[in-house]
Amino acid sequence: MYDDFASPWNIRLKWVYLLAVVFALLMPVFYTIGISFNQHGFGARIYEFTFDWYRVVLGDTLLVVSLKWTLYLAVATIAATIPMALLSAKFYKRTRRKVAFVALMLSPLFVPADIMGSSLLVFFKNLAKGFAWLGGALDVGWFDGWFDLGFLTAVIGQVIYTHPYAFIVILITMSRYRVQQTEAARACGATAWQAFWHVEFPQIRVGVFSSCAFVTILSFNEAVRTALLKGGFDTFSNMLVAQMLNIGMSGESYAMAGIMSIVSMLVIGSVIVYTLVRAERLERRARAMAEPVMSS
Amino acid sequence: MTSAADNSPPPARRSRELPAPPARWRRYLGENGIQRWVFYIPVVFFVLFFAAPMALTVVWSVFERTQFWMEPGFTLFAYDNFFTSARAENYLYSMLHAAAAVLISFVIGFPIAVFIRRRVTRAAQHRVILLFILPFMISELVRVFAMRPVLGRHGVVNSVLMDLGILSEPITAILYSPLGVIIGDVMSFLPFMIFAGFLALEAVQNYIFEVCDDLGAGRVRLFADIVLPLAAPGIFAGSVFIFVNSMGVALVPTLLGGPGAVNAGLIANQAIVALDFPLAMAISTIMIFTLVLLLYIGHRLFDLTKILEPIS
Repeated sequence: MYDDFASPWNIRLKWVYLLAVVFALLMPVFYTIGISFNQHGFGARIYEFTFDWYRVVLGDTLLVVSLKWTLYLAVATIAATIPMALLSAKFYKRTRRKVAFVALMLSPLFVPADIMGSSLLVFFKNLAKGFAWLGGALDVGWFDGWFDLGFLTAVIGQVIYTHPYAFIVILITMSRYRVQQTEAARACGATAWQAFWHVEFPQIRVGVFSSCAFVTILSFNEAVRTALLKGGFDTFSNMLVAQMLNIGMSGESYAMAGIMSIVSMLVIGSVIVYTLVRAERLERRARAMAEPVMSS
Repeated sequence: MTSAADNSPPPARRSRELPAPPARWRRYLGENGIQRWVFYIPVVFFVLFFAAPMALTVVWSVFERTQFWMEPGFTLFAYDNFFTSARAENYLYSMLHAAAAVLISFVIGFPIAVFIRRRVTRAAQHRVILLFILPFMISELVRVFAMRPVLGRHGVVNSVLMDLGILSEPITAILYSPLGVIIGDVMSFLPFMIFAGFLALEAVQNYIFEVCDDLGAGRVRLFADIVLPLAAPGIFAGSVFIFVNSMGVALVPTLLGGPGAVNAGLIANQAIVALDFPLAMAISTIMIFTLVLLLYIGHRLFDLTKILEPIS
């Protein structure tokens, strides 16, 4: 602690408050997971542990297909977002117009999902009509179907949504990297790519992998933009929304919410544990290097 | 005894070698060719698929409505439709609810950001912040959905309060009501106030707090005169995020607000379902203008770029 004179009870109370807020934020989710394992569902006095609701969900062909689409979408989003976030972070370091660039990159964070989804929906519909008109004018069929609502438009919507998070995570990792190392590599004859791949990337790798995990989770959880832009397929979260609005709070809905929470917690939990273990290891190594060598 | 071969320099590691491109390609692949322009890809992408649709929203909002779509023209019918109907009143109500969510999030979340920055050791600060990443990363859909069994008539809150003898009958005002929407917004966006507050405070040097302590500044004075002004960019950014999302995320009033509960996002969604695209675009335009105005005022007052100082 920084303040040696602060009352220890005061500090303990603040820790209790902090943990109580974390508990309050997580409690509903754990409670939902708890219900999803109850044979009798929500509100029952008796609790009988079962996997039945999960069996029902995983035995439903439509839900399994929606899970596959969710996975494809997540893979495509990662493949597009991470290289773009890396390029953005590199560009941010070298550009003089930092404010304008950051404003452009981080603005999607401040635009609500429904508003962005609506705007993109109309944009893509107009774009598709524009390309269809162009194809008709040139008398070629090549432009047919460009930007029709579907997988590509859903990926674009998700990239816009996930990119700011990946950009911030990579930028934070990059802020600890000293550019003199790149300069040294370049002075030794390395090309820009070699300097990046062999010198810089190993040091920012943790940030890149963490952003991969974040993007996976964000993509997996995203519902609103995807619902508006996806066209003819369904993702898992869209199925959950439909289930909640049409059928209500059934055992199946709780199991679906449980799957989404457990997957998120596993992925993010692993990142957090890995980050903590790595920080501990680096700290130990730094302490060992700082200790004076004992003479015999 | 060493052979001549042993004295020769060790062979370079194969995995580290990259084949040089042919000379004629170097000009195009080199640092003055593609490599230079490749950094502009994110800018082009965001201008094309984010800035352009947002800007065009204004144009589409004045188009004329057709049966299933819209056609070019100039009419303010969508705005007239919005401002002369109950939608404008609902929009103002959702602003009020969003402001309440911001205030509650600040009261609950900002002291946590200050505590982490001031009382937790530097090495452990980011680890404590990670505690709030976990709930933030669980789907908002699930978090909002999970509030139903917690706040409901037979939910955890009512059961606990009744078991403790505090209540004789369950409270019904915390779900399917405006209060339910505010609780849902706070639970959804609270971590952002902590992240933004902490990020802004990270740029404040420790000696500033130490000087205040040495000079005997009281807690209230320290908070009002030092912490609050220095963390203002972070607080403002966090507040705008919570405010705009509370107004624009339709999921919360849909699941927790009950019949009649709406916000700007839900009004836009309803307009799209009714195939009234110009109206949806008019609502989006009003929302975007609200956002831009808030960010502009915030930037003029607090210089929001200060939040990024620790990572610049």
